[in-house]
Amino acid sequence: MAPSETRHQQREKPIALELRGVSKTFRSDTGAEVRALDRVNLVVREGEFVTLVGATGCGKTTLLNLIAELDTAEEGYLDLGDGLRFGDNIAHVFQHYTLFPWRTAISNVSFGLQMRRVSRADRRARATELLARVGLAGFENAYPHELSGGMRQRAAIAQALAIEPKLLLMDEPFGAVDDSTRTELQQMLTDLWQENQTTIIFVTHNIDEAIVLGSRVVVFSERPGKIVCEFEIDLPRPRDRMTEEFTKLFMRIRTTLSGQLD
Amino acid sequence: MSKEDLRTERPRSWRDSLGWVVMPIVLLAIWQIAAVWLNEPWIFPPVTRVLEELVHPFREHYASGSLLSNTLVSLLRVLLGFLLAAVAGVTLGIVMGSIRAVRTGFEPIVEVLRPLCPIAWLPFAIAVFKLKTLPQLFGVQYTRTIFDRLQLGMIFVIFVGGLFPVLTNTLDGVAGVRRNYLLLGQTLGATRRQTFLHVYLPAAMPMILTGLRQGLGLCWFVIIAAEMMTGSDSGIGYLLMYASDNSAMDIVIAAMLIIGCVGALLSFAMRRVMYGLVRWHGKEI
Repeated sequence: MAPSETRHQQREKPIALELRGVSKTFRSDTGAEVRALDRVNLVVREGEFVTLVGATGCGKTTLLNLIAELDTAEEGYLDLGDGLRFGDNIAHVFQHYTLFPWRTAISNVSFGLQMRRVSRADRRARATELLARVGLAGFENAYPHELSGGMRQRAAIAQALAIEPKLLLMDEPFGAVDDSTRTELQQMLTDLWQENQTTIIFVTHNIDEAIVLGSRVVVFSERPGKIVCEFEIDLPRPRDRMTEEFTKLFMRIRTTLSGQLD
Repeated sequence: MSKEDLRTERPRSWRDSLGWVVMPIVLLAIWQIAAVWLNEPWIFPPVTRVLEELVHPFREHYASGSLLSNTLVSLLRVLLGFLLAAVAGVTLGIVMGSIRAVRTGFEPIVEVLRPLCPIAWLPFAIAVFKLKTLPQLFGVQYTRTIFDRLQLGMIFVIFVGGLFPVLTNTLDGVAGVRRNYLLLGQTLGATRRQTFLHVYLPAAMPMILTGLRQGLGLCWFVIIAAEMMTGSDSGIGYLLMYASDNSAMDIVIAAMLIIGCVGALLSFAMRRVMYGLVRWHGKEI
């Protein structure tokens, strides 16, 4: 499949999310103003896997919070695609506190279904299936504190997938795990995305991760948070970090980001 | 990853249990020697006299009933009043903790009533409820059972005693629930009611249980004091006072030992429940 074809098909898909001129300013207690986001324009189409990459504190998380209605923008428009609703088909995976510590793994994964009044037998069956899918078969009755960091993120992804989201927001979900676990989780997420074609917006400060996962990488500048450039990634999956194309792309994004620092 | 939890009681080893055997024996021995040497049993009776009472818990003392029957009356009053306090305290605590308007509305009342000793409510409670008992509330004049001892005024005082520890701990627990858990619940589709039931309640559970344990302890404190007041006709506190009026110090001390042991048992039982319910506590991730 030629790269241009892929791009063409993407463009025909319905819009899942559109941001036009979105700005956000925070005021500190001392009255100082920090422009977190400055006129951000972004269109995400259904089935896309968009990674937002930028330095820590550049407003990526603020953007995700605006999309998730956890915060409000003071300027600009934010439109969700048809049928997308919070508390229904938009899931959010955080870096920390991703699971309820008082619930076992299976009970955490069933939470969304329980809220939708799915019968106990059905939700247990579905949760068992999902836990197996993320590689946690046999850990159904473990509490979050009994799981490793990587296992918790697996469970959190299963918990998010249980509500069959049309849009999956992920805020540095693999930020707190070690490198080899991170690679495993990236592979698992890639597989899940290829199976379900869920729209994913994934925030990270790790350039390598952004390229490995994304069908499109959006590069964020620092203060004010602004989109500086975007890259469509047509590299075949699973992505090989050792190829020349990967390295070139990596260097370009890194140069862009470090150029912003000067 | 999970840090060592210092707040949850672990089952004790036999070595730790020695304190429960050795120390009491030593103390009882000193007491016995001192009492025999002083030889003033109406002030300081020997252990043997007190034990004599304790091994005959069914023995009737004048018109006031036995040690056992009076203990049961006190326990029943406490459990009933505490149950009401627990339901009201947890419910009000969750609502106040999660809805700002309710909190600001109720806070002044709570802050003024909380430091008020529950016993201070007794004259008022007796005036309001007269000496009406629980069965009478349901239209039964006399059941000729222990239930005839359940005066509404007494239960009300216990209720007040247990309410505030439960309420304030629940309130703090709910107000301290991490925002992240609320967000997680909401993104997963929890409605307002479901958020109460499935996020606030379990997240605040360790604090709620602490409040319940403190509340039950205070209820047991309060009932003894309430039963010692005029207008009381039964209960272990009443028996203690009655025996004192009759210079029966052996019964007074027997009653004191029973009060202490029952209190310890209640506390122990609550601890067991807590340990089972919130094993995750202190291991948040």
